[in-house]
Amino acid sequence: MNRVALKMLLGDRTKYAGLLFGIAFTSFLVTFAASYFGGMMTRSFALIAENPSADVWVMDPAVVAVDRPINLPTADLSRVRSVEGVRSAVPLAVAQAEVRFPNGGFQSFQVIGVDDATLTGVPPMNGGATAAVLRAPDAVIVDAGGTSGKLETPLLKADQWPRGRPHLDVPTRLLMAGDELLVNDTRVRVVGQSQALPRFPPRPLLFTTYSTAERILLPERRRLTFVLVTAAPAVDARTLAARIEAATGLRARTSDDFRTDTVSWMLVNSEDVGDAVTMLSIAMLVGFGVTGVMMFMFTNENLKYYAVLNAMGASTRSLLTMICAQAAFCALLGTGLGLGLCVLAGRVFASYDFPFRMMWFAPAIGGTAVLLVSIGAAAFSGRPVLKMQPASFLAGR
Amino acid sequence: MTGPAQPTRNHTAVRCHGVTKTYGQGNAAVQALRGVDLEVGMGELLMLVGPSGCGKTTLISVLAGLLQRDGGDCSVLEHDYKQMSLPETTRFRGRNIGFVFQTFQLIPALTAAENVATPLLINGVKWRAALERAGAVLRSVGFDDRMMRSLPADLSGGQQQRVAIARAMVHDPRMIVCDEPTSALDSESGHMVMSLMRQFALGKDRVLVVVTHDARIFEFADRIARMEDGRITGIEDAPSRGNEPQRDP
Repeated sequence: MNRVALKMLLGDRTKYAGLLFGIAFTSFLVTFAASYFGGMMTRSFALIAENPSADVWVMDPAVVAVDRPINLPTADLSRVRSVEGVRSAVPLAVAQAEVRFPNGGFQSFQVIGVDDATLTGVPPMNGGATAAVLRAPDAVIVDAGGTSGKLETPLLKADQWPRGRPHLDVPTRLLMAGDELLVNDTRVRVVGQSQALPRFPPRPLLFTTYSTAERILLPERRRLTFVLVTAAPAVDARTLAARIEAATGLRARTSDDFRTDTVSWMLVNSEDVGDAVTMLSIAMLVGFGVTGVMMFMFTNENLKYYAVLNAMGASTRSLLTMICAQAAFCALLGTGLGLGLCVLAGRVFASYDFPFRMMWFAPAIGGTAVLLVSIGAAAFSGRPVLKMQPASFLAGR
Repeated sequence: MTGPAQPTRNHTAVRCHGVTKTYGQGNAAVQALRGVDLEVGMGELLMLVGPSGCGKTTLISVLAGLLQRDGGDCSVLEHDYKQMSLPETTRFRGRNIGFVFQTFQLIPALTAAENVATPLLINGVKWRAALERAGAVLRSVGFDDRMMRSLPADLSGGQQQRVAIARAMVHDPRMIVCDEPTSALDSESGHMVMSLMRQFALGKDRVLVVVTHDARIFEFADRIARMEDGRITGIEDAPSRGNEPQRDP
């Protein structure tokens, strides 16, 4: 009888298209929202991802996410280096700074100070330059960090470092090597642009050496934010982290664990989670609205045929199975269409640098949403079948 | 000729006594059947005639197990629906009763052959076997292969009713109930449909109960039961069949 059910479904092309649209819409929107959320979460631990050589991240015991740093005394770097199993340990400074542009305007940057000796953590650079350019005095590398239009500097010399009022509404160009900026009244020279992973929340980045960072940032008693540890050969990262914690009293997390910590913190604390949940809820509600109403209309219009089938001996259970088969067919096809559409839309969005990343759970969430919507729609439209009186259809009424 | 509600053919297929049925409750109650006495024998084609609202459709609904009677006794093919659960009644209908509806009630998305195969599918016959059997029955009512593949919308009213008849008898039921089978057809198609019913649907192991207003088809009946106000007021032999010998199937 399921074949009969599918033929009935495919025979009414308008409602079939409506059902497919409703389910594909749900699948698309839920998967898209989940993928977008996945992209945001991925960007939230971009700093960790940019330092693949660090097996263990050491930080203040109160730090719970990479974006919630509390600085350490510089001496802690030596304490970490002294732990058995540590092959190397380098400092990383992370801080916010207001940067003055040549036109007189200000822009907030995240300053990342990397180890002077190894330059560990400097992302790949534009134009084939290398991180070694940071060895020049007062050198900084700028990066958009997922923002747009935040690295603009006046095009004309006349608009740079003006006397008097700032020249804000003037023609601009991107910062490039040779430009100068002021960080806390200290002049720095841009030596290039990097291709760092976009951040979430987006923010412009300024990479420099640890020593330059110490010099240009406002003076603090503690400047060291993280110690990036590489484990000695044959030393397990998790074991080493435990050993560092035991020896120093600091918090030490493997890269993977620190990523998980960061995502967990974001899930609990980020307002964007609420936005994503709202988007998912709206998608499911709209999907259920369209799918449920279409399915109900389809079943209602076919009620007399269900009554005829019931009169001819089809049990109520068999009729409900037919409705479920119709819903399942639409769900399967609609999910496929929605996912396909989501992949295409994701490619477009990703090409514009939006945080879209379809991870394994995104289609799973989309599929679950469709399943719930389809079950709801089938239950909603199955009610008239349960309540119908086949005798009332006997005379063609 | 009016007479007692006695079957004229083999053993009794339907035996009802004092059957009542009321719709609604209180002041809104409508008594559709007010004590119907009726017997129909196997191999018989009984027509139920009467004015609109006299209870004809209610009576065949009760006979077909689509409605539960309120009172009286009624045995159909030696079964009493009151003694059966709802699923048992549904199963019984699926195996033993065929339906021909006033407006054909063919499923528009299915071809003629698929529509005819539906009762077999309901009874668990596989798709291919059901279609083969449906094809054979459709051929016997004059359909060719092209017509079998047609959707109901592409068929004339007479052709659609032939499909409905084929559907009613494809699973070889012991009783066929027809509600106004010719009311949507012209005179010629109505005659053709009733001829088919007599020719193919009626046998000594089968009974046909036909509700109709259409006096043009009375000649096809073995007996005609007249209903009025929820009661059978008289049963008479059909004009041209009163003295006809019993047919072999």
